[in-house]
Amino acid sequence: MYNCKDSINLLLEFLDGEMSAEEAQHVKEHLRGCSPCLDFLRTYRATPGLCKKALAAKMPKEVSEKLTEYLRSKIKSAS
Amino acid sequence: MSDEAAREEDRQLLERAQDGDVSAFEALVDAHRDKVYGLALRMTRSEADAAEITQDTFLSAYQHLKDFRGDAAFGSWVHRIAANHALMRLRHRRVAQAAEQELQGPEFTERGSLAEYPISDWSRDAEEKALDAELGTAIQQATDQLPQGYREVFLLKDVDGLSYEQIAETTGDSIPAIKSRLHRARLALREAIDDFYNRDSRGA
Ligand SMILES: [Zn+2]
Repeated sequence: MYNCKDSINLLLEFLDGEMSAEEAQHVKEHLRGCSPCLDFLRTYRATPGLCKKALAAKMPKEVSEKLTEYLRSKIKSAS
Repeated sequence: MSDEAAREEDRQLLERAQDGDVSAFEALVDAHRDKVYGLALRMTRSEADAAEITQDTFLSAYQHLKDFRGDAAFGSWVHRIAANHALMRLRHRRVAQAAEQELQGPEFTERGSLAEYPISDWSRDAEEKALDAELGTAIQQATDQLPQGYREVFLLKDVDGLSYEQIAETTGDSIPAIKSRLHRARLALREAIDDFYNRDSRGA
């Protein structure tokens, strides 16, 4: 029988689907009986998506203009 | 445009670019520059470095266009080039830095139960389009505070979508080591987000 620590240690493999059927069964059984871990799993799984939004970046216009200029000059001098 | 349609368009542009059509190459650059710049900016946290890495990345993509085979997506190919360039810069910078501390996960009781229960389930907020600005700032700060090796793996895998294999090739670390760092980084960030949601209800 897995406890919270066992289950949380294995969350990444569990969500990747990369563990033996037996181990996955143990984790599932623990989650079924432990709502804190179930909440933990949900929030763990939501974390990358939230971070991705928080860390999104767009290239400033001056930088992309410089990039175009730079590449054109390099490409021209190569051909 | 769907991912599949975008990839098909990339494939056609790539073919033309490989035949020497510079405008097709420029269209590829337009389609991918934000992602490449974003990766470089997150990794290096420097706008100047990010701009240079983006230039280097697309220049080296251009120089190696002929070597690129259509079996992978152009986007993931330039992502890997950008990750390589960004890591090279970070390795240079890191020399003088102190040894990296270990990241602690959540606390458990002696019997291995969670010591602190999540109070709210905020996982649904991830599905919403707009992100609360304060939460965004909290996440940025928490990401900045991750030890370098953890930050790199988390950014490359969870934000920029590289595979474990690609990260292993880029960093030279083993896949189990990468997974272990990724897990710890996610735990730390999950906790930071959880703290944000519970900032009013816990130990004020
Ligand atoms: Zn539990």
